Amino acid sequence: MKNLIFLILFIPICMTAQHQQKRVSGTIVDAAKMPIPGASVYIPSTMVGSKSKEQGVLDGAMLGTTTDFDGHFELSIADSIKSLVVSYMGFKTKTIDVSGTATDLTIVLQESTENLAEVLITGYQKIEKRKATSAYSTINVSEIEQAGVATVDQMLTGQLPGVIVQPTSGAPGAPSKITIRGTASLNGSSDPLWVLDGIPLEGEDIPKDFRDKDNIDNLQSFPIAGLNPEDIESITVLKDASATSIYGARAANGVIVITTKNGKKGGMRINASANAFVTQKPDYSKLNLMTSDQKVDFELFLASRKDLTYQKDRGEVARILNAFNAYETFQDNGFSALNPEVQNAINNLRSQNTNWGDQLYQMAVNQQYNLSISGGNDQNTYYASAGFFDEKGGTIGTGQQRYNITLKDKFNLNDEFSVGLAVFASQNKTSSYITGADSFTNPSRYARNANPYLRLTDEQGNYIYDPDLVERSDLNLNYNVLEERRNTNHELVANSLKSIINADYDLTDDLHFSTQLGLQFDFNRTEKFSDKNSYYTRKYRQRSRYTTPSGDAYYMPEGGIIQNWNTDVFQYNWKTTANYNTTFDNLHELDVMLGTEFRRNKIREIQTKGFGYNPNTLTTIPITDDRVLTNPLFDAYNKRYTENAFASFFGTASYTYDRKYTGFASLRYDGSNLFGVNPKYRYLPIWSVAGSWNVHEEDFMRDFEVVNNLKLRASYGIQGNIDKNTSPFVLGMYNNVSILPGTNEEVIQALGAPNPDLRWEKTTSSNVGLDLGLFNNKLYLTGDYYYRKSTDLIGLRAVPLESGYNFINTNWGTVSNSGFELSINTINISNSNFKWTSGFNISHNKSTVEDIQIREESFKPSLKGYSANAIFAIKTAGLDSNGLPLFWKDGRTVSAVEFYNLEEATDGSQLTRQEHRDLYSYAGDGAPQFSGGFRNTFRYKQFDLRILSNFILNQTVQAAPSYFPTLAQPGTNYSTQILNAGTGNLPALIGSNSPGFNTDLVYSWYNSFDAGRTYEDLDIWIKDISYIRISSIRLSYAVPDKYLEKLKLSGLNFNIEGRNLLVFGTDYDGYFDPETYGSLYAQPIPKVISAGFNLTF
Amino acid sequence: MKKLIYLSLTLLLCVSCDDYLDIKPVGQVIPSSVEDYRSFLTTAYSITNLGKVLSTYRDDELQLNPDSPGVEQYADIYIWNDENPSPLTRSFPYSSFYNIVFYCNHVIENKNAIEGDAEAIEELVGEAYALRAMQYFELVNLYAKPYNRATAGQDPAVPIVTKYETDVAYPVKSVQEVYDFILEDLNRAEDMIILDKQEVGLNYRFSIAAVKAFQARVYLYQNEWQKAIDHADAALALNSELQDLNVDLTRMPSEYNSVESILALEIVATFDTANNATISDDLIEAYDQSSDLRFDLYFRPTSSGRYRSKKNADTKFKVSYRTSELYLIKAEALASLDQTEPAKTILLEFAKHRYTPEGFDAYKLNIEALNNEALLLELAEERRREFAIEGHRWFDLRRTTQPKITKTYEGQTFILEKNDERYVIPLPNDAVINNPDL
Repeated sequence: MKNLIFLILFIPICMTAQHQQKRVSGTIVDAAKMPIPGASVYIPSTMVGSKSKEQGVLDGAMLGTTTDFDGHFELSIADSIKSLVVSYMGFKTKTIDVSGTATDLTIVLQESTENLAEVLITGYQKIEKRKATSAYSTINVSEIEQAGVATVDQMLTGQLPGVIVQPTSGAPGAPSKITIRGTASLNGSSDPLWVLDGIPLEGEDIPKDFRDKDNIDNLQSFPIAGLNPEDIESITVLKDASATSIYGARAANGVIVITTKNGKKGGMRINASANAFVTQKPDYSKLNLMTSDQKVDFELFLASRKDLTYQKDRGEVARILNAFNAYETFQDNGFSALNPEVQNAINNLRSQNTNWGDQLYQMAVNQQYNLSISGGNDQNTYYASAGFFDEKGGTIGTGQQRYNITLKDKFNLNDEFSVGLAVFASQNKTSSYITGADSFTNPSRYARNANPYLRLTDEQGNYIYDPDLVERSDLNLNYNVLEERRNTNHELVANSLKSIINADYDLTDDLHFSTQLGLQFDFNRTEKFSDKNSYYTRKYRQRSRYTTPSGDAYYMPEGGIIQNWNTDVFQYNWKTTANYNTTFDNLHELDVMLGTEFRRNKIREIQTKGFGYNPNTLTTIPITDDRVLTNPLFDAYNKRYTENAFASFFGTASYTYDRKYTGFASLRYDGSNLFGVNPKYRYLPIWSVAGSWNVHEEDFMRDFEVVNNLKLRASYGIQGNIDKNTSPFVLGMYNNVSILPGTNEEVIQALGAPNPDLRWEKTTSSNVGLDLGLFNNKLYLTGDYYYRKSTDLIGLRAVPLESGYNFINTNWGTVSNSGFELSINTINISNSNFKWTSGFNISHNKSTVEDIQIREESFKPSLKGYSANAIFAIKTAGLDSNGLPLFWKDGRTVSAVEFYNLEEATDGSQLTRQEHRDLYSYAGDGAPQFSGGFRNTFRYKQFDLRILSNFILNQTVQAAPSYFPTLAQPGTNYSTQILNAGTGNLPALIGSNSPGFNTDLVYSWYNSFDAGRTYEDLDIWIKDISYIRISSIRLSYAVPDKYLEKLKLSGLNFNIEGRNLLVFGTDYDGYFDPETYGSLYAQPIPKVISAGFNLTF
Repeated sequence: MKKLIYLSLTLLLCVSCDDYLDIKPVGQVIPSSVEDYRSFLTTAYSITNLGKVLSTYRDDELQLNPDSPGVEQYADIYIWNDENPSPLTRSFPYSSFYNIVFYCNHVIENKNAIEGDAEAIEELVGEAYALRAMQYFELVNLYAKPYNRATAGQDPAVPIVTKYETDVAYPVKSVQEVYDFILEDLNRAEDMIILDKQEVGLNYRFSIAAVKAFQARVYLYQNEWQKAIDHADAALALNSELQDLNVDLTRMPSEYNSVESILALEIVATFDTANNATISDDLIEAYDQSSDLRFDLYFRPTSSGRYRSKKNADTKFKVSYRTSELYLIKAEALASLDQTEPAKTILLEFAKHRYTPEGFDAYKLNIEALNNEALLLELAEERRREFAIEGHRWFDLRRTTQPKITKTYEGQTFILEKNDERYVIPLPNDAVINNPDL
């Protein structure tokens, strides 16, 4: 990379050798007095610019040099040269005065705080910043690094404009959902592409409905899960078409380029760091649940209401009343009429408080260690690191452990040829609890429903099973959270090896070749074990029930269940590029790149299930009953294999005139294996054009000294994507069927309806941007406006059943995203003792579904004209005197009977689906209107204080209803909200014969006929939230030099950090975090306090 | 070094990208050979639906038990409540018929492109025609008025689809058009199918005998008596064996491996049929329990003195055509042509295999005394007994007298009037929603 910079810098510079020469020498060090090897020392182009045109000779040696191993440099320059420029990546460029004698200078470079890389690393190219035409953001990981955070995605939250990072859950190892500039697809993945040192990573997408109960408790391995953030130097997010189009079809959702640390020339540096971090127990009281006292009163209230009969025998109070045959006495004459024994038994419950927060959640002490060694010389640079990360989650039973080893080595075989080698190896073990099909036992869900007086063990320590967690009134499968935790296990072990070999060859000064081969191996092993004595096993066994003349029988053998999912992923990615960079007449700069890329991946998944598992002998019992053949839940073995190949050809060209005007174009042809896909879509052309204007280089800007940088950018491009699952042909899949007894035949089943008319999805993006640096970049501002339009989006559309199918894949939608991004980095105060820098960013995205085909049978309105994440609500108008909800219709307040057009002796609503859809009105955008972050760093002498925060403004969220009016039952706990049912906007609890106008109709509507589940969409559950989260406050102390020298250390830092301690903003009562508002299943986002040190020698 | 680079560049350009990208996904295929298409059509044969089962709930063979679990799925079918059924009610099948039609159409459309043995291709395509005809036959009898020569040209039936296309209209065709289409398909099938009979286990596939039996049934439903007789005879020429229950009570004659089996494809009973309902009093009374050997073979007593169907979800009970039906078709057709005596001969020939020797003697005396009108009634009763819980009854009621049926359910009385319009089942909701032309 360095070579490239030199070339670019030196090519335009020419000067004569006839001038009188003088020698300049010195040492370049950083603030800690460590020598900086490899720093550049050169004559600024402005000083030679006017003379250089006279002669077309290039003589780089005359013009600049790099510091050696000890940070030393020596240079002969013309006498007339008055100053030299010293620069090094990550440090502020400095101009030194060499008008007098200038030997044995000591030049201290200050670390750059502006977070402005000199070079844009796209993964294919390194583009000098002044020539960059794209919209991108870069951040050095050192600025956002947080203790106790396993993956870098979480650290990005709020730090990059236009990049929304949402935690999927607070679970250890849970990935973050990243959305760059909105969603360009309605069905497909919206995950960005992760690129590690030029190699796109393979991995599972984050499910679109990642908070769905079926997804949230799945352990999955995501592309970056195995990477240690300590190994990462910087992160660059490529946002507009001119930056991403080079990545082809996969880059439609943006690209995140990870650049890992490299060894630097110089002595061996050893860096060791250790952190202990304490995950705080989540605040269970945030859920606002009833206490035992409140719950007993609530159960008594339900029992006293003769009209509320739903599961009235559940709950301890009803059980006591029934045991004493006192239920009716209580209903008729009240509590005082009960005999004292019964009264006492009920009142005893009030003082019996199980703290479910303590039973399900914990405080955990965790640790993290890291060691790295780096260094190098002219021939070779190296970086090696080892890391260990161990986290136990706030939810008992969850955790993550990771081991990392990273090795990087770069050999400069000669001036022209260099070879690099990198290996990233990791084992990442995630553990969690196990939940059954309906997720009753998900801890976050169970914490809400478990009765506060329910005890877990009796005096003898025997498990007490929850009498109210039952499958049916006559079937209790005995759930106890302690037993379940002890007797089940859920673990994902992801072993990952990524290796990269690259070779660079400079054929001439202008022409360079490089080739890079990346290999990725992932071995993911998930194991779910449930012992014989567990609710999970008991529940699973129910699925094997069948009736015999002598009663129920089960074909699942007695014993535990062991389930394994083994996934092997292999990919290689080989890309080769030729770069031609030249300058002529000192005015024209031309950079051309041509390249090819071949990629192939193979994914093998094997799922096995064993029943009757004995954890001591590790054996299972085969199921011999024939009924098992038709029940896929008991499939013993399943295998899937997929293989994909991609071949791509690409090129970019950039032309810069007079350092002011740059034009850029890129084109890529992406070919992939598309079995059965229309051949005309085999190669997708993806292209972009862009331009930029460095306004500050213009003569007329000379007078505005305040402005040291002003650049305008614009880009436009097209990306495409084709759905691989739809074919113009009838595609078949092999299977086996048995039509008559004793026959088993191989069959070919059609995979789906063919659609010969399918076109590829197309996204066009436009971007205009501005970079502005004032006061020598003390204030640096970047602003971008973009418009992305995705047309012909593919989705399922209902078709006449006569076609043989219900749905076909078809081009059905158009979505546009537009928005702006603004980031401001400032150095507010800077003097020798105190320094204050800030980084602020804010972005806004508005997505609009411009066209979509609604399904005729849909209950909810079409998204057309609204955001892709639009939330629709039923507007309520308070309650009538009986507590039944009222609604708005044509400006009048109407009852549910009129609103839904309910009729006796029918299945409820007489509305057509269209009329049903019209009941809804737009409530708001589920994606935030504004998002961003604010970063402040204060340095006072040896102390550093850094505060990171991120914010969301104006996001519409939807809570899960805290109760259902017809389903309120004494068996489960509720949010205290239910105590106010019937007041304010909260519908009353009703039975079919509760008082009120047509209550039976309203009752049967909410009880069973409301197939569109409109109750969950009542506006009372929906609100707008805004919040700012202080994600990290970190204080560190750097031991002063004089002590370090005694200790023979070159650096020692102590730090303490608090993460996620504070959230300001709209209340999010009833949920642990604003980020997971509405999810009953998400684990709380942990508050973490950590302490650690960082040692360098 | 330079050479190396040039070499690798040249190599790169030579790599044929199409080869590189040509990956055939494991487990996926575009059918091309006759073996592929056979597997493809086998999928169509394996697609089952509950049409026969649900119509059994709708006719007069069962008494639904309101206390059984899951009974809501059947209650509104049982009491002919089509207007506002419970949302849990099972839908009569529609899309599954067209799904099978899709498979058949694909085979038929590609008959000239299939690679392989010419005879095997003929056989396969012939079967596809017959299987397609079968779907339309079921559709037209569920969702349209029974065939009536006078009005068939106007009576709306269902759309006919012969080719898969996106974005085309699927208008409803008349009963006449659908019947014509069925017969046309069957003629083609007859021309192409080579095997007279399929071996046991593969007898879910159409054979010549099955096509002829099917044709006999179609003509019977059209009241084309002579054609029905001719085709029944043609089918009987290939297999006329009847299972003699005096000799063999090990299996029901409707089972797939009975000597009577011609085509064993359709599901006629499920787990629910045998569990949430008992046999209706009417049907029990239709049997002479002492002499009719079918009674104990078909039904099992419950502890409460009622009877349940022994036919259940077991695939061995799959059935479509069998020789008994041919005898009864022929007898009915002859009687309808006033050929009373030949009709009696056929009926008695059949009945000999169903009654005890003593029972048969009494039966014979009884039959011989009947006039033609009474014989026709007795034939209907015999069909009812023979084909109990076999998916015939609803169609038989429709095509013959459409009598008044009275049912009591949860203390309420429900009546299907004579010639009630509910003898035609309304098209399922999802079909109407998805096709504006219905």
